[in-house]
Amino acid sequence: MLRKIYVGLLFLALSGLAGAVGADELSARQVVEQFQNQLIDVMKRGKELGFKGRYDALEAAVKNSHDLPKIARIVVGKEWEGFTPEQQARFEEEFSRLSISAYAHNFKEYTGESFNFVSEEETGRGGVVIHSTLSIPGEKDVRFGYMMKKKDEGWRIINIIADGVSDLALKRSEYTSVLSRHGFDGLIAKITERIESYEKQ
Amino acid sequence: MLDINTQSSTNILLGKVLLIASIISLLPGCASTEIRPDQPSSASVTIDPYEDFNRSMYGFNMGLDKYLLKPVADGYKFITPRFMQTGVSNFFNNLKGINVVINDMLQGKFEQGAADTGRFLTNTTIGIGGFVDVASELGLQSNVEDFGQTLAVWGVNQGPYLVLPIMGPTTLRDGTASLFDRAANPGSYAPMVGVLEGINDRANADGALNFINEAALDPYVFTRESFLQYRSNLVKDGLLDSKEHDFDINDAVDEAIAQPGKSPAPTADKHGKLSGAAKPSKTLAQGSDAFDDMSKSFERAEYQFEKASAKVDQLSKKKRRKH
Repeated sequence: MLRKIYVGLLFLALSGLAGAVGADELSARQVVEQFQNQLIDVMKRGKELGFKGRYDALEAAVKNSHDLPKIARIVVGKEWEGFTPEQQARFEEEFSRLSISAYAHNFKEYTGESFNFVSEEETGRGGVVIHSTLSIPGEKDVRFGYMMKKKDEGWRIINIIADGVSDLALKRSEYTSVLSRHGFDGLIAKITERIESYEKQ
Repeated sequence: MLDINTQSSTNILLGKVLLIASIISLLPGCASTEIRPDQPSSASVTIDPYEDFNRSMYGFNMGLDKYLLKPVADGYKFITPRFMQTGVSNFFNNLKGINVVINDMLQGKFEQGAADTGRFLTNTTIGIGGFVDVASELGLQSNVEDFGQTLAVWGVNQGPYLVLPIMGPTTLRDGTASLFDRAANPGSYAPMVGVLEGINDRANADGALNFINEAALDPYVFTRESFLQYRSNLVKDGLLDSKEHDFDINDAVDEAIAQPGKSPAPTADKHGKLSGAAKPSKTLAQGSDAFDDMSKSFERAEYQFEKASAKVDQLSKKKRRKH
């Protein structure tokens, strides 16, 4: 009996401890690693989850690790200022949906991939880059650099550089080009078209 | 990840035309591609001045790919066993090995050159003419070097972005330099080998091309940006210059938050020359810092000089009074 109480107390103490750790802010590295673990987990359950299941599983994971509102702003460059508040909200929403859909589409199965932490580097103006590699059996490692910025909620990914190719720079060129050629409605149409084609596969 | 470089194919005749064209326009081409940060969102204007032409060439290539190259590559993948495909890829990669060594030397990377020589010899002998990549198994990583990168290290700007028929994305510098690479590749001198290499390249690029079709809102811009960044990364030997990226990002963030104004171009070579194999980002950052420091110290020197001459004036006045 006494033993039971003791175990119960120990459990309580442990869970209290876990709660305390959880309440503490995660470091930049922890944010990245948590996200990578969630990705691997979704990949492992990829087939049974299906696209919808992967999307739902990744939505919180992506939103809690990426600064999607800021990324959305940056990719349209100074065009952002020309948007009406409704357009800004609409774009941010569609952009988030596309980003999560792309993850759900590209990480759909597990073939022994693993992420490995390499180093942490401080950049100017309070940013941090987490360097890690994605090992895929039978292929060359892919080097990932996660550029992080600190927000009120904690560290958030603002750019991913894969083998030297900056996702943010790539998207910015693409989005500003589409905006200047097809306008706001054209951009939204293209984004929804992408999302639909991801959903189908 | 996006090995778009493999898209490049073979057309020596076309290359000759390009050579003539590029020799004529090399110098003004270089001059016009320097990016001035004060130009609003001028990335595509300065990097891609021939966008309309390039876009139509891109469309042509995509059509050609859809109706000719992809079916051929698919057929090749269908009839060729997986291990043979790997062998063929290894064989062509190994042929490039000579050129890799030459360019290692030209860039002053003697240690890497020695390793790449060992790699080439190992694969050519033990690896049965290059069909088996024994060297990678032994831990000798393959390096990607070509004359375009050598020119970049020597300080030649990339020049305007070009999309060539069949050969696909390149820049004036890299397109011109690829002629050198062809000349240093034994495969170029055997008939029909180029065709097989082209099929092999296309088959290998399948994943990347599919990815572009799935992910890109504007496949043309997507291809251009990833190609230019990929090349820039090769020139810098994969040293991730997060500082340079960070500048862009910070500027973009500031811009997004504050107001429209400066819009720095995100892509490669915007700072022009790259000095040697040293860390370009550092030298660039140091360069601008050093420039700031220099102008500050000039100001200080000027101030000191004024102060000194004022003192001299005062002294001479005193002396005069004494007299």
